[in-house]
Amino acid sequence: MESKKSDLLQGTLDLLILKTLASGALHGYAIAQRILITSRETLDVQQGSLYPALHRLERKKLVEAEWRESENGRMAKFYSLTKEGQKQLAAELDRWKVYSRAIGWVLEA
Amino acid sequence: MRLPWNKKDSDLDREVAYHLQSLADAFEREGLSKDEAMLRARREFGGVEQTKEKCRDERRWRVLPALVQDLSFGARMLRKTPGVTVAAVLSLALGIGATTAILSLVDAVLWRTLGVPHAEQLTEILWQSKGRPEGLFQGSSGSMFRSGPLDVADFFSRSTFDALRSRTGGRTEIAGHLHADDVSTSYSGMTSVAKLRPVSGNFFTMLGLQPTAGRLLMPTDDDPRATLTVVVSHVFWRRNLRGESGAVGRTLRINNRAYVIAGVAPEGFGGISVGDSTDLYTTIEHAPIMLQPDSWERKAAADPKSWFIQLLGRRAPGVVNEALTAELETLFQSTWVAQPKHPETAPSIRLQDASGGIGSLRREFGNPLILLFTLVGCVLLIACANIANLMLARADTRRKEVALRVSLGCSRSRLIRQFFTESAMLAVAGGLLSIFVAYATANFAVSLMPSNLRLVFEIDGRMILATLAVTAFTAMAFGLYPAWHATRVDAAPALKEGSGSVGGVKHTWVAPGKILVLAQVALGVLLVAAGVAFNAHLRQIVTRDTGFERTRLLMFDLRPGESGYHEARLGQFYFQLEQRLRNVAGVEAVGLARIRPMLGGGYWDDIQLPGRAKGIPTAVNFVTAGYLGALGVSILEGRGITESDVRTRSNVAVVSEDVAKVIGRSPLGLVVRMEDKPIEIVGVASRARYSRLTEQPNVIYVPNALTQDATTVLLRTATAPTQVLPGVRAAVAELDPNLPIVKAVTMQEQIATTLRRERLFAWLCGAFGVLALLLCMIGLYGVMSYATVRRTQEIGIRMALGASPGNVLRHVVREGLGVALAGCALGLPIAWWAAQKYVDYKRLGMQPLDPAILIWATVALAVSALVAVLGPAFRAASADPMKALRAE
Repeated sequence: MESKKSDLLQGTLDLLILKTLASGALHGYAIAQRILITSRETLDVQQGSLYPALHRLERKKLVEAEWRESENGRMAKFYSLTKEGQKQLAAELDRWKVYSRAIGWVLEA
Repeated sequence: MRLPWNKKDSDLDREVAYHLQSLADAFEREGLSKDEAMLRARREFGGVEQTKEKCRDERRWRVLPALVQDLSFGARMLRKTPGVTVAAVLSLALGIGATTAILSLVDAVLWRTLGVPHAEQLTEILWQSKGRPEGLFQGSSGSMFRSGPLDVADFFSRSTFDALRSRTGGRTEIAGHLHADDVSTSYSGMTSVAKLRPVSGNFFTMLGLQPTAGRLLMPTDDDPRATLTVVVSHVFWRRNLRGESGAVGRTLRINNRAYVIAGVAPEGFGGISVGDSTDLYTTIEHAPIMLQPDSWERKAAADPKSWFIQLLGRRAPGVVNEALTAELETLFQSTWVAQPKHPETAPSIRLQDASGGIGSLRREFGNPLILLFTLVGCVLLIACANIANLMLARADTRRKEVALRVSLGCSRSRLIRQFFTESAMLAVAGGLLSIFVAYATANFAVSLMPSNLRLVFEIDGRMILATLAVTAFTAMAFGLYPAWHATRVDAAPALKEGSGSVGGVKHTWVAPGKILVLAQVALGVLLVAAGVAFNAHLRQIVTRDTGFERTRLLMFDLRPGESGYHEARLGQFYFQLEQRLRNVAGVEAVGLARIRPMLGGGYWDDIQLPGRAKGIPTAVNFVTAGYLGALGVSILEGRGITESDVRTRSNVAVVSEDVAKVIGRSPLGLVVRMEDKPIEIVGVASRARYSRLTEQPNVIYVPNALTQDATTVLLRTATAPTQVLPGVRAAVAELDPNLPIVKAVTMQEQIATTLRRERLFAWLCGAFGVLALLLCMIGLYGVMSYATVRRTQEIGIRMALGASPGNVLRHVVREGLGVALAGCALGLPIAWWAAQKYVDYKRLGMQPLDPAILIWATVALAVSALVAVLGPAFRAASADPMKALRAE
């Protein structure tokens, strides 16, 4: 598979999805769009790779899914955070902040 | 059926479709055409099918659906050919079940250790000598067996035991015991017969056992003045004392004496030998036999020349056998009150590991059981080969299917798993069924073992584990190769073949299936030969001449000593008994003997002849005047034993004609010495078996002094022996209504009990042989019918071109028989070699394998092979050429 603008660090896709879902239920396409926009078009998630990640999170019961009518009138599968997912997000965020700060210190030293 | 995980699949399709559509919509808004937009969307999305596959991989029940698929598919394939499946499962069940049963038998007899802590420290103390050490002891009770050039015995004098025990403290703890014997018991009105083993007071402390209830015997119980106490086995406590905890401290009557029940032995303790059925333990001083004033044992206890105690010791940790042997030997020799007549026969101490128990059972059954185990392993192999053949044939018929799946991207490991699942299903089904077979076989085997053995055959964890192991092994053995073979398919040619073309079917003489059948037949020769050989051996023994007519003899034991008879009253009783029994209707002759004929054991001594340095080993029996007549032995020379010989206890004897042969002249008038008493030989009797059909010892009959506290009564009857039993009971009851008749059996039954080992062996081997024959037939039938079905087209062409049905028939039969005969040719030398190398004929007491038996086994296999191939051959020959040509 060819790489696009910026490759994601391993495991960060799960975090991005969780964060994106924190503001409300979204379907897969919307999640991809939202990540693209909020990262100011820096992070272009390979659209297809989103789904294995979503299914993985669903299996871990961090997100749940439901078929609903979407903004264009068609049925779409909407994902939303579970309680478990919110807890996981908070924990991951803390870990990420510590991690990125540490990386920052090292790189700026 | 729509399964939950299938629903998920369509969910995923819709989800991905939505995403693609949304992307395409966005591109369309940017001005692309509909088709271009969709193309762009697909590119942007990445590999659609790959993504879907990855999503499926993320699912939780990834393994299970595959397994369920495999299982249901496998079940469908097996159901397609029910006959073959049933045959396969049955042959597996028989193979695995028989193997497990024999395995558990081997385990119970050879491998299991005694139920005591640190059994590995236990050692049996024996002595060994080159020849009987004459003069060293006068009388003995115990067992003596040959080990190579040595005589090994297990009996010691009381004084030797005391010396060994008291002077080896700290390095070893030694306990003494006597042979277990039947006693009659009564507990709050409930009477039964049980086995009692007299032991020394330190017996249980030496074994390191803790009681279930009450206490075990202690050294203080050795005091003859102490209260009579008895320790009961856990089995006896549960069965005969109803498991009451209140039984401890109560009275158990043994041979009409009151014993206090001191305690109950722990549950896991099953005695000190394999299959030990001892239920009661008293100290030697308190044993019923010791309390009878006239018993030999009572007199023996005070006589250092009477050897009768068996010894069991526990080595202290760190004590090595060599040092202990040397120490015990010095002590042993210091206790002799006489020296052996021939110094080279002086005995030395021999220590034998007793972690698995004492006694002869291991010696007697060890080699046969290992042999049986090997044979049953061969049966299992043959069964496995059948399954492997079945799977191979099935794999072959599914070549196209496999090729299709491979070309559609199915991985090879997935295919192997599928095939393997099928054989594993067969194995599991066979394994489950085999538990019943194992039970039946084990019960059958136990029923052929001596009845006084208490062998434990519970389907316990170990047995289940063994079955599992065997099943897993068979699954691997017959599943892996066919699975590997089946998936090694070159897709293109496999897909092309079959659809009307003949060229694609390869026919070879060395197909894997045929090689398997060949190996089966080779093993079959071995098994059938073993079955025939051991049955021929049994037949040969059973039909051996006993020297007397055996269908009209009845015998039983009486133990007046236990009922208080002794000295003059005892002799009186025996005389009256003989008289009364002679008058019972149907009784032709009556005799009393100290040794029961055909008991399997007896009393041996060396008789000394004037002018001969070495004594003649001779079996001894003490008999009344009527005995020889009742047994049916005729007097060839001189006279028999008379009533007055018995009354006056005269020093005369009758010897068997074999003794005359050993001496080389008529022994009449000779004065021989036995136990240092002069005995005049007054008659020669015709030869008759003494203890078992497999031995023909010299026998000397000595007048019975009628001072023994127990006797065997032998009756010759006019009709069937059991018919006179009521009359006999009445006659004995007239004399003493409280005297029980013990061990009443006919001579035929008595002989049968001495042949249990031979029968166990012959019947099991015979069963294995028949099973092997059947399995070989199934295997050959399967391979040949599969081969002819595959070649239906070829046969059709041949017939269309003018081959007669007879030609086809001959062709198929020749091919099948060729495989069988090749197997025979391979099996014959293997069987011969194995029979020479691995069978201990001497120990089994049989003649070396007769080559004729091997030939017969080969013929049997060849004939059954012919029967097996006739079916497929006739089917092929009677095929309609037109139909055959069209067949796919």
